[in-house]
Amino acid sequence: MHYQTESWGSYLPTRSVGDPLERIERLASENAVVIFSISTCCMCHAIKRLFCGMGVNPTVYELDEDPRGKEMEKALMRLLGSSSAVPVVFIGGKLVGAMDRVMASHINGTLVPLLKDAGALWL
Amino acid sequence: MATHRVGETNLSGSAPSNHHLPYAVLHGINPPAATFINQEGSAFDFGELEEAIVLQGVKIRNDEAKTSLFTARPAATLEMFPSWPMRFQQTPRGSSKSGGESTDSGSAVNTLSSRAEAQLEPESPISIKPTSDHQAFDQKHLQFQQHQQQLEMASDNSRLAGPSESQPAASKPPPEKRKGAGSTSEKTLDAKTLRRLAQNREAARKSRLRKKAYVQQLESSRIKLTQLEQDLQRARSQGLFLGGGGGAGGGGAGGIISPGAAIFDMEYARWLEDDHRHMSELRTGLQAHLLDGDLRVIVDGYLSHYDEIFRLKGVAAKSDVFHLITGMWTTPAERCFLWMGGFRPSDLIKMLISQLDPLTEQQVMGIYGLQHSSQQAEEALSQGLEQLQQSLVDTIAGGSVADDMAHMVVALGQLTNLEGFVRQADNLRQQTLHQLCRILTVRQAARCFLVIGEYYGRLRALSSLWASRPREAMMGDEHSCQTTTDLQMVQSSHSHFATF
Repeated sequence: MHYQTESWGSYLPTRSVGDPLERIERLASENAVVIFSISTCCMCHAIKRLFCGMGVNPTVYELDEDPRGKEMEKALMRLLGSSSAVPVVFIGGKLVGAMDRVMASHINGTLVPLLKDAGALWL
Repeated sequence: MATHRVGETNLSGSAPSNHHLPYAVLHGINPPAATFINQEGSAFDFGELEEAIVLQGVKIRNDEAKTSLFTARPAATLEMFPSWPMRFQQTPRGSSKSGGESTDSGSAVNTLSSRAEAQLEPESPISIKPTSDHQAFDQKHLQFQQHQQQLEMASDNSRLAGPSESQPAASKPPPEKRKGAGSTSEKTLDAKTLRRLAQNREAARKSRLRKKAYVQQLESSRIKLTQLEQDLQRARSQGLFLGGGGGAGGGGAGGIISPGAAIFDMEYARWLEDDHRHMSELRTGLQAHLLDGDLRVIVDGYLSHYDEIFRLKGVAAKSDVFHLITGMWTTPAERCFLWMGGFRPSDLIKMLISQLDPLTEQQVMGIYGLQHSSQQAEEALSQGLEQLQQSLVDTIAGGSVADDMAHMVVALGQLTNLEGFVRQADNLRQQTLHQLCRILTVRQAARCFLVIGEYYGRLRALSSLWASRPREAMMGDEHSCQTTTDLQMVQSSHSHFATF
């Protein structure tokens, strides 16, 4: 892991503040399928159901339950260029996108190979 | 004509001479043109005709009779008039006896019936013949107590039904007013005839009631229509619009809808017209055996046509998601199969699979795979929507009176998520159509789009046909009344309703 060398005074020096985006990328690369979600969001629920229905076991981070969730939300909004940060899916460390991208890739048949390559799906 | 009336022969000297002149002539009143049976429409039935024929020839001789008309009116109608002497003749088939007088009686009857329905002047109902006089006065009684009247007339006229059997009647005090009717023959109406006449009367009465009910229905509908038009005017001026209710004559009830919904409905109607155009292009393209390249252009055009409606729906979802998700923009039959504001992609593919033969094995695999992934996506979206509904329910149901508004605010926030689901559902539909085009060849894709277009066209047509199917309106009313009464009887105590 790469820690930031500088630290801002207002933050506890226990851990590097880290760019929230970096944290996101770090977390995304730790598992085959990573979903950033909010526990009360219904679309997030839908996307979780989609992967579970396919037999995939995604790693879910509920941003409303994370102390740094707020800034990660903002970072995701910037990343996606949309007003809604969640849900957002990373497969094999790479960004797939929000619900519409995930569904489109499922329909056009690219999602399953992606999952298989990441080791999230067997046959 | 009067002189030829059978009744004439029954007139004994008690009839004043002026009696033989048409009443109307006496009073300088123009007799109406022969009022025809048709004037009565459904109210007239041959029960009345038969009765009148049977009653034919009873005359009220003069004004005395007339005055007496308004005086004595015995209530009992079905009594056999024991006070009357045996002037009633047995008339097993009363009408047959008066067959010869059918023309006369016809017009008299018509006059009679029409009078019965029309307004009756107390003074002088216009009639043409002396017999009509009697019947005219009778009409008064009809207005008073119709059934009694007719029965008495039946009694009276039966006396005249058979000329051969008529007897010069001694003055027979008419229970009502038939004086001088004594000149008619005395026939006792037998039970069968009475029963038949009573049944005919019942039928006629029911007929009149039905007509009355129908007219009332029409009247109230007319009032409702004018009110609706006023509402429409008012709403238009306030910037709202009246919903047409489901595209091409879906037969759905119209209502006040938002501007966003109204705009979308208009755009959708235009899109449907475009759809027709695209379909004929596809058809001619297929039949003309165009080169694949040219056909591809048409197919791509149709894809963009669908992209357009999804774009329009996206815009409409921002302003009025309920309009989309409840399917008020579609026809009722389409609404029946609605999934999240539109068609269900996996159902469409299921329908197409059988229509798209022949397919290569790879294509079959591709299409089944498409169906499968579509189903998974639909399931996921449905579950997400379910969770939204559940949290809405919890929000609305929960909370005390104090934080009512707070809960409303939360609920409003939750409702905004609906738009997202409709958008994702449309996205799924769009992706499915695009993927279909990738799997199929150009010609197959063209045929596929034709099948889709025709399928939804038939569904829309089904809605129209269903809406305009013939219905037993009056029977329906009777039945619904019956049902209502049954329900009421179940709900309320016995004392409320007499036996129906």
